[in-house]
Amino acid sequence: MAKQLSFYFDSSACVGCKTCQIACKDKNNLPLGVRWRRVFEYAGGSWVKQGDQWIPNNVFGYGVSLACNHCENPTCVSVCPTGAMFKRADGVVLINQDQCVGCRYCEWACPYGAPQFDEAKGVMTKCNLCEDLIAQGQNPACVDACPLRALAFGDLEELRNKYGNIAAVEPLPAATITQPHLVITPNRHAQASGKGTGKVLNLPEEL
Amino acid sequence: MNVREWALITFTILAQMSVGSFIVLGIVHYFVGKKAGEKQADELSDRALLAIGPVLALGMVASLLHLGNPLNAYKAVTNLGTSWLSREIFFGVLFAVTGAVFAVMQWKKIATFQIRNLVAILAAIIGIALVYSMAQVYMMPTRPSWNLVTTPISFYATTLLLGVLAMGAAFVANFWYVQSKNPGCASEQCVLLRDSLRWIAIASIVLLGFQFVVLPLSIAFMAASGAAVSAAMFVGEYGALFALRLVLVFLGAGVLGIFVYREAQSAGHERQMSWLAYGAFACVLVGEVVGRFLFYATTTHFGLQ
Repeated sequence: MAKQLSFYFDSSACVGCKTCQIACKDKNNLPLGVRWRRVFEYAGGSWVKQGDQWIPNNVFGYGVSLACNHCENPTCVSVCPTGAMFKRADGVVLINQDQCVGCRYCEWACPYGAPQFDEAKGVMTKCNLCEDLIAQGQNPACVDACPLRALAFGDLEELRNKYGNIAAVEPLPAATITQPHLVITPNRHAQASGKGTGKVLNLPEEL
Repeated sequence: MNVREWALITFTILAQMSVGSFIVLGIVHYFVGKKAGEKQADELSDRALLAIGPVLALGMVASLLHLGNPLNAYKAVTNLGTSWLSREIFFGVLFAVTGAVFAVMQWKKIATFQIRNLVAILAAIIGIALVYSMAQVYMMPTRPSWNLVTTPISFYATTLLLGVLAMGAAFVANFWYVQSKNPGCASEQCVLLRDSLRWIAIASIVLLGFQFVVLPLSIAFMAASGAAVSAAMFVGEYGALFALRLVLVFLGAGVLGIFVYREAQSAGHERQMSWLAYGAFACVLVGEVVGRFLFYATTTHFGLQ
């Protein structure tokens, strides 16, 4: 298998603090409304009344930190009319903004909301795995910022050997569309993709 | 809805109308030519042919309005290998060029009738490919309300319905233009106009029936294919608009179509027939625009956005 750089996310450690999201935004100087990394708060369950008490009924909640999964079959790359979106030899999916026409078609095609539109420049942007930092042998900004050590980055094969093959939990869609290169350690409450047991609690403007 | 989506509505409707008009014009020209000769057929349809170009050009200009960086638009045909959007633009430009070549040849009577026919058939085939690629653009797993076999079918239904009624209106407009220069409805053109309009009325009623089969099927498919939220919008949030769309298309292609047929049966009713043909086209055009608006407005994203 060719080299493939990927993210690892430990949902069992994540507390949903969003430091990764802010570190990403800061490092990449992202404009208002553009968030290459986002933390989804997924929760569900209810409370039932028993006598005078309210008892939790399968109440759960956990965080899922998501950036671009630098997929095996990046649909953003295949649908892009100009070829601005491309996959590098090391597996990183990048966008050449000089080539981008700003049609936002990749935005429709991606099941992870990874390509995002820069209103001021009129072109798409996306997570580049902090290509400048990793070229110097450093970690992406989100990985180093996490106070819980819930994020890591490295070669896909090594990460999968170490942490397993799970690439989807709710609210992520099933991994069949794009073969995402994401390695997840699920939270103990993790729900299977597509199950719909809970919902994303973030306000729309947070995502 | 914003400028971006209206740009896409305008582009898809106008491009499909152009393809449909071109095909319908070709068919009418062929039959009129067989019946009354080349010269009469040209007189009936040549001006209508020239009207198609600006409609397509307007649609293509509108499509630029949905781009964040239109200066790069010329690069959008470079990923033909995998991108249906590239293919859509490619076939769009190719249809425009071939259609324009044919229009000039036909207008100036360049080359023989047979050669012109070949160019026209080629342009029509490219037009059919254009509408097919327009539909494929929307067919992706992250858009379950679009990723259905009814998307290409309904695009073709729109193409033909708008093509038929646009050409009906164009023939009528051409007729009155000719009349203003050379009055008197004893001419052969008058007979041919009524003949064509009768067939146009029949075609529009048949296509209406087809449209009314495809529409409920598309919503049923949505409900069954992970786009239940989209399906529900057609009776919920957008119920009134959907009803308006159905009424307008029924009124235009069905009710007015029947009256066009009636008035076209005997001489002397050309004025009534003309207004009915204009009205039918206007109703169906607005109905199809509302339908395309709903196509975009009711879509939902699968996965995270």
